Amino acid sequence: MGIESITLLIVLALLALMALGLPLGITTLTVSLVTAILYFGERAGFFIVAANVSEVLHKYELIAVPFFVFMANVLERSGIAKSLFDSMAIMGGRFRGSVAVQTCIVAVVLAAMSGIMGGEIVMLGLIALPQMLRLGYDRKLSIGIICAAGALATLIPPSVVLIIYGLAAQVSITKLFAASAVPGLILAALYITYILVRVRLSPAMAPIYDIPETGLPFFKRIKYLKGVILPGVLIGAVLGVIYSGVATVTEAAAVGAIGALAVAAARKELTWTMARDAMRQTVLTVGSIIWLVLGAVSLIGIYNRIGGGEFLRGLLTALDVAPIWVIVVMMLIVMVLGTFLEWIAIIFITVPIFAPVVVDLGYDPVWFGVLFAMNIQIYYLSPPFGPACFFLKSVAPKDIQLQEIFAAVLPFIALQAVGLFLVLFIPELALWLPAMLD
Amino acid sequence: DTLNIQTSFNAGDFSTQYLTENWLPKISEMTEGRIEIVLTPNGSVVPARETPEAVAAGVLDGDFTSVNYFSGLEPAYAIMGDLISGYETPEQMLDFCREGGGEAVMQKAADAVTGGEVKVVACGPYSRESLPARVPIRTFEDLKGKKIRSPEGLAAAVFQAAGASPVSIPFSEVFGALEKGIVDAADASAYVNNDATGIHDVAPYPLYPGIHSMPSMQFTVNKEKWEVLSEADRKALRDWWYEAMYAMAAEVAKQDAALAARDDAADDIQVIDWAKEDRDQLRAVAREQWEIFAEKSGLAKEALDANIAYMTKIGLFQE
Amino acid sequence: MKRSLAIYAGLIDRFSVFIGQACSILLFTCIAVSAWEVVMRYGFDRPTVWTIELAMALCASAWVLSVGYVTQRNRHISITMLELLVGPRVWRLFRLFQMLISIGAIFVLLLALWDPAVKALSRVEHSGTAMNSIQPTILKVLLAIGCVLYLLQLLANVIHWAQGTESEVDGGH
Ligand code: NA
Ligand code: NA
Repeated sequence: MGIESITLLIVLALLALMALGLPLGITTLTVSLVTAILYFGERAGFFIVAANVSEVLHKYELIAVPFFVFMANVLERSGIAKSLFDSMAIMGGRFRGSVAVQTCIVAVVLAAMSGIMGGEIVMLGLIALPQMLRLGYDRKLSIGIICAAGALATLIPPSVVLIIYGLAAQVSITKLFAASAVPGLILAALYITYILVRVRLSPAMAPIYDIPETGLPFFKRIKYLKGVILPGVLIGAVLGVIYSGVATVTEAAAVGAIGALAVAAARKELTWTMARDAMRQTVLTVGSIIWLVLGAVSLIGIYNRIGGGEFLRGLLTALDVAPIWVIVVMMLIVMVLGTFLEWIAIIFITVPIFAPVVVDLGYDPVWFGVLFAMNIQIYYLSPPFGPACFFLKSVAPKDIQLQEIFAAVLPFIALQAVGLFLVLFIPELALWLPAMLD
Repeated sequence: DTLNIQTSFNAGDFSTQYLTENWLPKISEMTEGRIEIVLTPNGSVVPARETPEAVAAGVLDGDFTSVNYFSGLEPAYAIMGDLISGYETPEQMLDFCREGGGEAVMQKAADAVTGGEVKVVACGPYSRESLPARVPIRTFEDLKGKKIRSPEGLAAAVFQAAGASPVSIPFSEVFGALEKGIVDAADASAYVNNDATGIHDVAPYPLYPGIHSMPSMQFTVNKEKWEVLSEADRKALRDWWYEAMYAMAAEVAKQDAALAARDDAADDIQVIDWAKEDRDQLRAVAREQWEIFAEKSGLAKEALDANIAYMTKIGLFQE
Repeated sequence: MKRSLAIYAGLIDRFSVFIGQACSILLFTCIAVSAWEVVMRYGFDRPTVWTIELAMALCASAWVLSVGYVTQRNRHISITMLELLVGPRVWRLFRLFQMLISIGAIFVLLLALWDPAVKALSRVEHSGTAMNSIQPTILKVLLAIGCVLYLLQLLANVIHWAQGTESEVDGGH
């Protein structure tokens, strides 16, 4: 059987098992076990799955996830999150959609202190989502904002995706970071524009916070900023710890988790029960996430070994089109692989094949790296394998189903595609900042 | 026959491209089309540290991997994988592997971690890593108190013995750690690779030629696959690998030197080359740590004795 | 028979919850250890070589060992779109199917992990780093233990399913 048919069978099997309601980790695990045993026999098949599955536990970057989850749980349980969003709602006054816009801005700030997508999504999911729902915001709009804006963690530097791309393609990581900042802000601006247009068209999606304080003139509302102070200090401290060279990005997340406890204590809301429950909730959340990653990672070695890479190379060399369309096809391939592989696997499989072609065609691999990272943004959100949606699901209120999350992110996927095409056809959007810094 | 071989090179590394373009076609020439090699990059099929068993199980037909990855399985791999501050050029150690008994030690190590299902065809390094630093480290004395990212056991022990503080930071955080000043220096890769990833933008005082690391690789083939090859093809594989490594060592040295000269002439980067007495001082400190490390297993001791005998023979140590 | 099955399921439930909640201590220690490294390195200029490996081992243990707790609370993430289409009675059969496939997959994974775990234990694999801990051995063995915990709880969930004593279903198993 050819690799084309195997690829197709893998995708179909995944879709079928997912649709039947199997846990997603079990879905990918089942497909990788079956493929491995059919293709390599028992001994080699078992070995390849076991080796890749064990490696997940060696991924240092993942340990930031529980740090963020715990930090968010403490902020949420101690009432800090509620005061923060009350303040934001009052400061936004009677401007429709102000809290949604502010959430996007908070997400951009958080993105500058996180290099991984999961940490930021669960943080926003725990803190912002219940508050937006409490303030009467439309469910789908709120969910979409959190998934899309939370995913910016790996486009706005620091970013593990860009670091791994830089290492795989041997491209300057400084330049990748500089090049991705503007596209990251462009996506955020697109999200904000969409929110403003959307809530204007259907005002019911974003009710005005109808309490007397929001009607006050701006200078009188300033005093309600106090709810922002403590979380602001915490975020400032974490950013300061990162950018002054005190701690690595992962360590800074641990400092933030301890800081959240300190902030709760400062508000006299730190109790043993609260800390214990926050910790137990963290265990449940990260415990469900790790099995997702395990399953997704175990497919990688198998797909590579049965010739996934060769298959893609064949697809590209068969093309006889203008260079820019070769890039477009590469982007489409990344999107398709994103339906069933984990992003690290996608980088491992595609970058070795794509990077030399990109250079041969006369394009800048830094620009391609930014496109790649933007494409990973789409991968995070898009069903059926949309990790951002899974991460949000792991912390969202119980009645929010995964399918509702998938429906909610669709407009934002369209916006991400718009952003991707902007940078695709106007490379200067990415390249002017690194050029200026040179 | 096609051999699927995983390397510990990253896809975009200079070495991957160099081998793919220049050397993969040669092996089929040398064997008149009987052997083709497909190289897959680091971690693409199994994690690097699992390659010996992957070769044994037949998941891979062979590996072309830095053996330091296996030092947790058998301490001899730490000695054979990177004898910190030992040899001066990759060619010296390639010669040790080919003629000085290196291959035999590597075969014993391979047999110790697998069930004798892996044939070691050849071994040796191709480059001396430079040491990117964000502050000038000009002499042996300057090492004192410097925070140096060095996750490998032997390297950390040598730096510690020389008065530096080894820091363990995962690879993905090295760049940020150098940029922000969390560490003063970090082990990375050959100058040409560090140049490509832009490390010198954040660590403008690279030590080149390097003072510590020369990671050595192994070329292995699954025993069953090996046994069906003709004597001529086996010889061709071994010759091909050494020829490729010597050629790559020469090419990397040339490129490293050219880039270092270019950077040294520019204002924002200052390349530091240690004097011989500083290198000798570090080698003396390092040798004590090698001896301590070699106590960890009989095979490690054997590996170190073979290395020291060869180094004495070529004049790196006095009798 | 029915009674002893119910007793098994009840015991496993409590066991999973106990282990899972005990994992909070591991996670909190992981946070504390990572923050400690910052204090030692930045505050006292004395970086350690052990915090990364310890933090990772703690975190990985919590991830893996909490699996029974996650399964008991039905917190594994899945798509439940078909539930609306097929109705609750058919969906109930689907849930049995989901649990059986899960049991099969995890059992095969356990078989796959068994030899590497036994091998790691018998020769004690080290990390080869500056700390040279036995982290690789611990993690390989832990994964196998995690699969056993997962299986035990899945079996308990099947019993709950058959006896109609399921806890609240939250979109997965
Ligand atoms: Na970021
Ligand atoms: Na996706």
